[in-house]
Amino acid sequence: MVRLPYSTALTTLFSYGLLFAFGQLRDLFRKIIDWFKSSSEDLKGYAPICLGLEDFYTRRLYLRIQDCFCRPIASAPDAWFDVVERYSEDSNKTLHRTSKTSKCLNLGSYNYLGFAAADEYCTPRVIESLKKYSPSTCSIRVDGGTTDLHTELEELVARFVGKPAAVTFGMGYATNSSIIPALIGKGGLIISDSLNHNSIVNGARGSGAAIRVFQHNNVAHLEKVLREQIAEGQPRTHRPWKKIIIIVEGIYSMEGELCPLAEVIAVCKKYKAYIYLDEAHSIGAVGKSGKGVCELLGVDPADVDIMMGTFTKSFGSCGGYIAASKEVVQYLKDTCPAHVYATSMSPPAVQQVISSLKVILGEDGSSRGSQKLAQIRENSNFFRCELKKMGFEVLGDNDSPIMPIMLYNPAKIPAFSRECLKQNVAVVMVAFPASPLLLARTRICISAAHSREDLLKGLEVISKVGDLVGIKYFPTEPPKHETKVYKVE
Amino acid sequence: MAMLYVQTVQPTDLNKNTEWFMYPGVWTIYILILFFYWLLVLSVFGCSPGMAWTVVNLSHFAVTYYFFHWEKGTPFADDQGIYNNLTWWEQIDNGKQLTRNRKFMIVVPVVLYLIASHTTNYHHPMLFLNTLAVAILVIAKFPNMHKVRIFGING
Repeated sequence: MVRLPYSTALTTLFSYGLLFAFGQLRDLFRKIIDWFKSSSEDLKGYAPICLGLEDFYTRRLYLRIQDCFCRPIASAPDAWFDVVERYSEDSNKTLHRTSKTSKCLNLGSYNYLGFAAADEYCTPRVIESLKKYSPSTCSIRVDGGTTDLHTELEELVARFVGKPAAVTFGMGYATNSSIIPALIGKGGLIISDSLNHNSIVNGARGSGAAIRVFQHNNVAHLEKVLREQIAEGQPRTHRPWKKIIIIVEGIYSMEGELCPLAEVIAVCKKYKAYIYLDEAHSIGAVGKSGKGVCELLGVDPADVDIMMGTFTKSFGSCGGYIAASKEVVQYLKDTCPAHVYATSMSPPAVQQVISSLKVILGEDGSSRGSQKLAQIRENSNFFRCELKKMGFEVLGDNDSPIMPIMLYNPAKIPAFSRECLKQNVAVVMVAFPASPLLLARTRICISAAHSREDLLKGLEVISKVGDLVGIKYFPTEPPKHETKVYKVE
Repeated sequence: MAMLYVQTVQPTDLNKNTEWFMYPGVWTIYILILFFYWLLVLSVFGCSPGMAWTVVNLSHFAVTYYFFHWEKGTPFADDQGIYNNLTWWEQIDNGKQLTRNRKFMIVVPVVLYLIASHTTNYHHPMLFLNTLAVAILVIAKFPNMHKVRIFGING
């Protein structure tokens, strides 16, 4: 649910219309000029690689602001990192890297617990495992790629999440897109939240099952869709569905909102559907001991049939996992292509996850885990509160470390990004197609590694740039004199 | 006007080419663009209001016919071409016919036609051109014309 001024909605639509019109005009001129120029002999008779219309968005809209995306970095993504400077000589069609870097505040990495940079417990152990096991197992899991580290990780993950068994994969995206086809096929039904991640959408499309979408976080609509579909059955034959899986995420990465898990599970139990929970952003970041949305919302993990998560966000590694009952995990190990055909996770990456899990659980002998969890909660709540007071439209629930700030107008995307970079704050822009066309935003990810000074600096820069760009859509709250530490403009 | 807020829920349309049409303000901006285009034509050509409305009507016909009923597919490669056989008109609302958006889009050319023919006092040749424009547009938007390709053109 986003609130925006009506005039902003109108101007955003108009801006996109204008950009579209200019893009079409340029395409028209390109067609006319190319018609006069003859094509070279070796390309005659070959079909074009893409139809002219298909890459319109990339060519005419994305390339104009290409310098705001894919910025190369030259250090570990800690609270401060080095961003490589780039320049372009043909208005952003091609970008060239320079050898200069600038140190910027990192408000974009998924570094929730601060494990992305060198850690006193994890890094020595990772280096040791690199020396012992080498960077790659050079094999698939089924052949020679299952080291004792992998088995230890799977047991540890299962214990952490609260399920009987778990299986891990080398890539988080590939986990979703290859598990869902293994779980359900033609004749099944997938009901997924309208804002699910692209990996889930691709996995669902690849499975061959029928897909229905329910309105984001709207449990009443979910129940309505479920009832309608169960009553109608499969399309055309009207036979009952073979299996119904409902896919939701713990924290939605573009909104920062939590999912109403307890109500969704109640609906699933009532209609005997399975539930698949994608905890990519919530595992390790929310909940009193970092165990994810189940802990935060008081849901028993045994009620969730399949729990999926990734190691990229809170654990500073790469890869994904699935935790479920022993039978399901064994079945997935036998059938899922990401297990049977893909190379196993790199052993140092596995060790990183094991060490960070031990820190979070407190099994390393210190309380750094709970300190980090408390720090990220405090940081997120402070940052979100201050941003809202300044008049920005910030999405997301309390306790969530992701806060998108709405921009709406397409021209504000590059403006905000470049102005922030000038003042040494690196933020991530989310434009179409990752977000809906009119709801462009900038997404701030808070980390436990951010100190209070870092957050204050970030707030100051964002406030200045927000005034310049004009995104304070809500009235600002006047500062309370006795508690304020710095002046709000 | 600046402080009038609207709320929007993200629509459940998976097709990114058409889901932008479900947001608040789309109908208003459509009408406003047509109105400002009429003002622009009046100031650029300095013709009578009737001729200006005729020009608006005919250019509206050309633009909307091309983008809604001729161009197929989507302007991005994300969806791997599942809509490559459908024009924009056939894609909106997931192919459901006679929704509110579709009814609005049928009404707009008709209203434009009425304004254009009234302000030109039903004189030829503007009446003929305007009638042709509205006839083609409205017939293209009929529910029975869903996925129909006459003589295989644009198939």
